[in-house]
Amino acid sequence: MTDQASTVNDHDGAPLLEVEGLVKRFPIRRGLFGSGSVHAVEGVDLHIRPGEVLSLVGESGSGKSTLGACVTGMSKPTAGRIRFAGEDVALASRRGRAQFRRRVQPVFQDPRSSLDPRWPIERTIREPLDAYRVGSPADRTARVAELMDLVGLPRHLSARQPRQLSRGQQQRVAIAAALALGPELLVADEPVSALDVSVQAQILNLLDELRNRLKLALLFIAHDLSVVEHLSDRVAVMYLGRIVETGPVERIFASPEHPYTRALIDAIPHADPGRKMSRIRLTGEIPSPVNPPSGCRFHPRCPVAIEQCRTVDPPQTHFDQTHSAACHVAAAGLAQRTSTISALSKGATS
Amino acid sequence: MIPNQAGPAGPVGPVGPVGPVGAVGEAVVMPRDERRTLTERFGGREGLAGWTIVFVLIAVAILAPVLAPHSPEAIDGNRILAAPSLAHPFGSDDLGRDVLSRVLYAFRVSLGIAVGSVALAMVVGLPIGVLAGYAGGWSDLVLMRLIDLLLSFPALLLAISLIAILGPGSLVALLAIAIIYVPIMARVVRSSVLVVRGQPYVRGARARGASHLSVIRGHVLPNAIGPALVQASVLMAFAIVIEAALSFLGLGSQPPTPELGLMLADGNNYLAQAPWVEIFPGLGIAISVLAFNLIGDGLRRSFDPNGLTQ
Amino acid sequence: MSALVEFRDVGVDYARRGGIVSAVQNVSLTLEENETFGLVGESGCGKTTLSMALMGLLPASARVTGQLMFRGEDLFAMSESEHRRLRGDEVSMVFQDPATSLDATFGIGYQVAETVRAHRQVSRRESKARALELLREVGIPAAESRYSDPPHRLSGGMRQRVVMAAALANDPSLLLADEPTTALDVTIQAQVLDLLAALQRKHGTTILLIAHDLGVVAQICDRVGVMYAGQLVEVAPVGELFAAPRHPYTRALLDALPSRGRRGRALRVIGGQVPDLSHPPAGCRFADRCPHRMDVCATVPPLATSGAERQIACWLDPATRATAGLAPLPDSPTPNPAVPVGDPS
Repeated sequence: MTDQASTVNDHDGAPLLEVEGLVKRFPIRRGLFGSGSVHAVEGVDLHIRPGEVLSLVGESGSGKSTLGACVTGMSKPTAGRIRFAGEDVALASRRGRAQFRRRVQPVFQDPRSSLDPRWPIERTIREPLDAYRVGSPADRTARVAELMDLVGLPRHLSARQPRQLSRGQQQRVAIAAALALGPELLVADEPVSALDVSVQAQILNLLDELRNRLKLALLFIAHDLSVVEHLSDRVAVMYLGRIVETGPVERIFASPEHPYTRALIDAIPHADPGRKMSRIRLTGEIPSPVNPPSGCRFHPRCPVAIEQCRTVDPPQTHFDQTHSAACHVAAAGLAQRTSTISALSKGATS
Repeated sequence: MIPNQAGPAGPVGPVGPVGPVGAVGEAVVMPRDERRTLTERFGGREGLAGWTIVFVLIAVAILAPVLAPHSPEAIDGNRILAAPSLAHPFGSDDLGRDVLSRVLYAFRVSLGIAVGSVALAMVVGLPIGVLAGYAGGWSDLVLMRLIDLLLSFPALLLAISLIAILGPGSLVALLAIAIIYVPIMARVVRSSVLVVRGQPYVRGARARGASHLSVIRGHVLPNAIGPALVQASVLMAFAIVIEAALSFLGLGSQPPTPELGLMLADGNNYLAQAPWVEIFPGLGIAISVLAFNLIGDGLRRSFDPNGLTQ
Repeated sequence: MSALVEFRDVGVDYARRGGIVSAVQNVSLTLEENETFGLVGESGCGKTTLSMALMGLLPASARVTGQLMFRGEDLFAMSESEHRRLRGDEVSMVFQDPATSLDATFGIGYQVAETVRAHRQVSRRESKARALELLREVGIPAAESRYSDPPHRLSGGMRQRVVMAAALANDPSLLLADEPTTALDVTIQAQVLDLLAALQRKHGTTILLIAHDLGVVAQICDRVGVMYAGQLVEVAPVGELFAAPRHPYTRALLDALPSRGRRGRALRVIGGQVPDLSHPPAGCRFADRCPHRMDVCATVPPLATSGAERQIACWLDPATRATAGLAPLPDSPTPNPAVPVGDPS
């Protein structure tokens, strides 16, 4: 992954965020003396370039939210490195960390719980400006108005309490507050999944527009693949704490290499009765991250698993400069291009 | 086919400098709960009733010297256990003292102890609860074990042993009740702080650079205080009962202080001949307890974040 | 096919502190035997209220009007106990959150067996055998060894399967599924949808599927009804609805979906907001947000039948206009299934 990242850098400039070998485990207590740990994230590498939208997809338990929390500094990694604009976040001074926080901001799923129910929205948007003492108090007031314009909130709402707003407006407030300090990266964890379809469209448009206008990079954590396909430049698919496939969005959706990615895409219920969900169905469910399976973590559910998958953890195979997947079968297929996967994908699309 | 199917419904393609996306999407606002009536502010009819009664009782307690028709301690040998009359609406007690005047003065002691003990418990318990709940980890563990230790003593035993050390009296009763209340308060505050601390808006505020102190002041306290206030009003009601009980047992206020529990103890001896000596202080206790409980219900309702307990 | 459930001009109001909330207005709808009917709409559109009316689970503050016929009997006219008996024998429900439908303290098999016993006079042994059969039918692996597991030992998808097993215990003629897959992951959702479709085929149960996800509805429903702010605006066979939506709201809803064809472009949004149902606008409730608003929209458009299987309530539509005795609009959109959904360009 590192060498791949460097080749990418040569093409597109320095990445904004680089994550290397990130591990996050949560200790758990079993009974009185037993103990173990949840292996939420196990050795993840990823990078985001300025202005890029990287989507992190996967089912619950895949570790995508934990990874997001590590990136925003809300959760401390067990191991691994997070570099922002080339600087190691963990090694930074107190001041450096405060600066890092200004540049990376989280947006949460449920806008109702991400706003203090007792605060008028103006105060919520203003809070970070006060915390960092940005400009004079008058500057901050002006900045709040500017931010409200930016996210499409009518100014006359500024004194309202969150409960007096619609869900869509609440999410706009949350985004405005996240943008207050002028971050370069937003980490949005399922920002539209609590919203109705028409409101979801508004927020997706807003995110897209913000990214274009502010050159904002976005780590978009989502389970809804049609939303992901709409918004992202690149996609990283997670399964049980690992990234199993990463690549440009068109590649991932048109010709996924990993069988799990394929299954996820096939499971999308399309709003098109003519296009039924395809026949390939994953059996079983995502195993517990306390005792992840040996070898490839996906092998117990994998329709094309081979003997090797049970024992050997597959390394990332690069299919081209930007597209890689961790799958023995796909790697073998790369060699002979007549793999089971391509047969499957023919079967699925026909 | 409709010309321009959804043209005005929304912008298509890239949008101009200040996003009409938003303006179009969210022009109208639902007027939800905009106006809360006075009754709703006080937590509905019950809450309003509770506050009204407490307000009246406090006024009575403060104005007792003005309102009382007689001195509460004036002994009158001619009026021993006299029945209620125009001059003495609540009758007289075994020493011929005016029961009405004594009840009016007694509210000073009872309300004072109720409010004072809870306020003291709040002053000590709130910081403990906030610290334990917000900081978590070791400080939580240590503080909560200490609180558990305090809780493990039976409340009345604790009060009685304190009184045994310091001697009986109204102030000592106040102190004893406050000590009983501190762990209760701390626990209630801690558990609601725990809930609030986990809210995304608290994590978000931290991520946006707010300091711990400003998060506690701005987000945690205002949102966590509700259950503590509900608890406080219920505890005040209970304090009146405890204090009356202590005095009844001779451990609280001492004669001749006009105090509801003491009056009950007195009246108990003459229940058959002169029930008014017993009834009116009893009613006083009942009404003040009821009022504080009503306030508690009202507070509970107005702190219900969804406000829709139908 | 014959009608199993018939909503006849059903209205539901809730009495609230601030006044009356009109949650459902003038809904007429027929559910046929042996079909899967999808009811879609955004939050607050009244779809859950309708299903609660069907289950007799409306809160005490609700006032209903109209008739709700189940096999020719009016549920609204029934006593509480008659309704309960009917509900027990004929109707079952599956909710969004399986955790709330199961008792955390009892084994899953026991809970299914209890449901069996509640409906049939059978011995414990028989009910256990039947429960195991049901658990196997809904695809619980190793049902015997899982029989005594409490719900928390199961994943969300497995719990939803258990709920479905319990729902099948009385062999219902109507299964109400309110967002049954919303809380599940996408691969599990696909499994549960497959299961629902398979059960429907096998038992011939009528399914009323309530969903906000148009994709879910498209996958397993035969017909779809679209609700907006308490009004039923359009009913159509699933293929026709998605290929040629006729109500402007249905069109807008479909246009708001991100899809392959719209990548890189802004999604269409619907201007304005859902009206406050304590002061609903007179007439068509979508009118304020509708790009084609006319004066006549201040009158409630009747839900008109068009062709064999479609119903539409919109003053733009010739069918609705004909029902009200109006001539079609000169430039009105003729019902043309060939009209592509989405972008006019």
